[in-house]
Amino acid sequence: MNERSNPMRPLLGTLAGVKDLADDVKLFQIELNGQSFDYRPGQFAFVSAFGVGEAPFGLASTSGRTSQLEFAVNRIGTVTAALHSLEPGAIVGVRGPLGNSFPLDEMRGKNIVVLGGGIGGAPLRPVIHTILDRRTEYGKLTILWAARKPSLLVFTDEYDAWRSAPDTELHLTVDEGSPPWTGNVGLITQLLEQVAPSPENAAAIICGPPIMIKFVLLGLKKLGFADEQMIMTLEAKMKCGIGKCGRCNMGEIFVCLHGPVFSYTQVSRFLESFV
Amino acid sequence: MKAITREALTTWLDGLTGRYTLIAPRLVEGELLYRSVTASAEIVLEFRRTVLSPKTFFLPDTQVVLEVEKRGTETTLAEPEVVKEQVIIGVRPCDARGLRALDALLLDRPPADAYYAERREKTTLIGLACPRLWEDCFCTSLGGAPDDASDVDLMFYEGRTGYWLSVVTEKGAALVEGLRTEETEQALPASDISGERVPVLAPDGWSALFDDAYWQRLADRCLSCHACTYVCPTCRCFDVRDDTTAAGPGYAHIQRLRAWDSCMAAAYRRIAGGHNPRPSKAQRLRNRYYCKFCYSPIDFGAVACVGCGRCIAVCPVAIDITEMLADIQYPISST
Repeated sequence: MNERSNPMRPLLGTLAGVKDLADDVKLFQIELNGQSFDYRPGQFAFVSAFGVGEAPFGLASTSGRTSQLEFAVNRIGTVTAALHSLEPGAIVGVRGPLGNSFPLDEMRGKNIVVLGGGIGGAPLRPVIHTILDRRTEYGKLTILWAARKPSLLVFTDEYDAWRSAPDTELHLTVDEGSPPWTGNVGLITQLLEQVAPSPENAAAIICGPPIMIKFVLLGLKKLGFADEQMIMTLEAKMKCGIGKCGRCNMGEIFVCLHGPVFSYTQVSRFLESFV
Repeated sequence: MKAITREALTTWLDGLTGRYTLIAPRLVEGELLYRSVTASAEIVLEFRRTVLSPKTFFLPDTQVVLEVEKRGTETTLAEPEVVKEQVIIGVRPCDARGLRALDALLLDRPPADAYYAERREKTTLIGLACPRLWEDCFCTSLGGAPDDASDVDLMFYEGRTGYWLSVVTEKGAALVEGLRTEETEQALPASDISGERVPVLAPDGWSALFDDAYWQRLADRCLSCHACTYVCPTCRCFDVRDDTTAAGPGYAHIQRLRAWDSCMAAAYRRIAGGHNPRPSKAQRLRNRYYCKFCYSPIDFGAVACVGCGRCIAVCPVAIDITEMLADIQYPISST
């Protein structure tokens, strides 16, 4: 068995940096030292904490902006707890890139609405970056960004750059907020009703907890968005990421292989619900 | 037709043990299981059904997929040693047919699984036809037959004093070089394929039954014990986890293991944080049946059940896949 022919063998990378993003959420920056890793927004990879295991994470970086791979990791299980205990300089494994990606080329010329909930904002960051870096190729960019509470909002240090980009709006909301928070308090669905982006020549991109996605889809439909205008990335338990282990099936669909990015046209035809 | 006496077979099998890992049905504490053997005397070729299919020699119940060594600041990865050429004798046609479902997923749909591919490549299958359908068997309802040689390299058919032998593939032909056989005019006795056929709903008929109350009723007595998935020759879901086998100051040896998993487990689809899109037993049992009769035909063009009957024999609460297939001809929601 040679190294190139085994999709279960990870690349070795060095943890170059670790940044606090939110409560229990850290951004891991991994240096692959020149090993090839061509990825697109929406793709994911498995990150190994050797000795504990590996888990899949959406790529939170944009290949045109940095040579490092970035992953936002919420400390919530055994692998994520092990990753949180690592210091810069540690060796980690990276297996990927895996899955499909957001159809950003097909979306050129359109107004884009990005809806992110909590850690679900991580795979949407490269979407925002790509649109900002190719600003003239897209219409209006409306970002609706939510979290359960202010201390769970991710990528806060980038909000000013997002807001100040041409033809770009950022709307934040939290489910529960108390001073010093002075912004919106309420669910992202309420924010969506207030902002009411037009479906005309638009596409919506959604990532967040399944229940959030479910209600955001209803909200977008109410605003007149058609099934094919709503694109989402789904999360599922995975052990291999290459369509073998069976964990992520929704009916005959494998999230890792056929997704993780799906249009609502596809999702509405799933025999088995993603929620 | 070639025929071989029991004595000639014994000599030949003893000869194979030196050149290959020879795997055969063998009694292990009273249970008949496929195990490696060092002498033909250990082999049991008169049997109905083994407890487990030989799938473990292609997708092991537990296998090392990666060796990781951490020494100071250095981390090195190694893949497990390559396996030796193996010959499995006494493979029932249904179990051999079951490998089609594993091949479709693990080999033919890219990317190929390197570990499975290696074992498949290095294995020669010697089939042993069943003279008839045993209790709980229903291979003929699913396109198979007790003497179907399509999925083996060599096929043996049991006679009164020895075996008839049919060479199916080049791999099989290579294996029998030097085997003392006799040409016989005697016709091969056909296997008895009588027995009730189970109705199998066509793949496109299943979606209308997805929300039928039947799945809840059937699942009420399921214990989520996973036995049906382990004994199944086509179930192939796996888990991957790390095991630290040795550790000291500045040193650790880790094995990344993959092991059979079961979609019957409550936590099978639960993600960290607790969300579980398949929290009920009814949903999980339904998924197992749909995987075989609805999803596999859509994804791979063929039903992933071979009618071996093991899940019926092993189920502690008598859930019977053939009863299910018969029941859904008359779904609850439509009566």
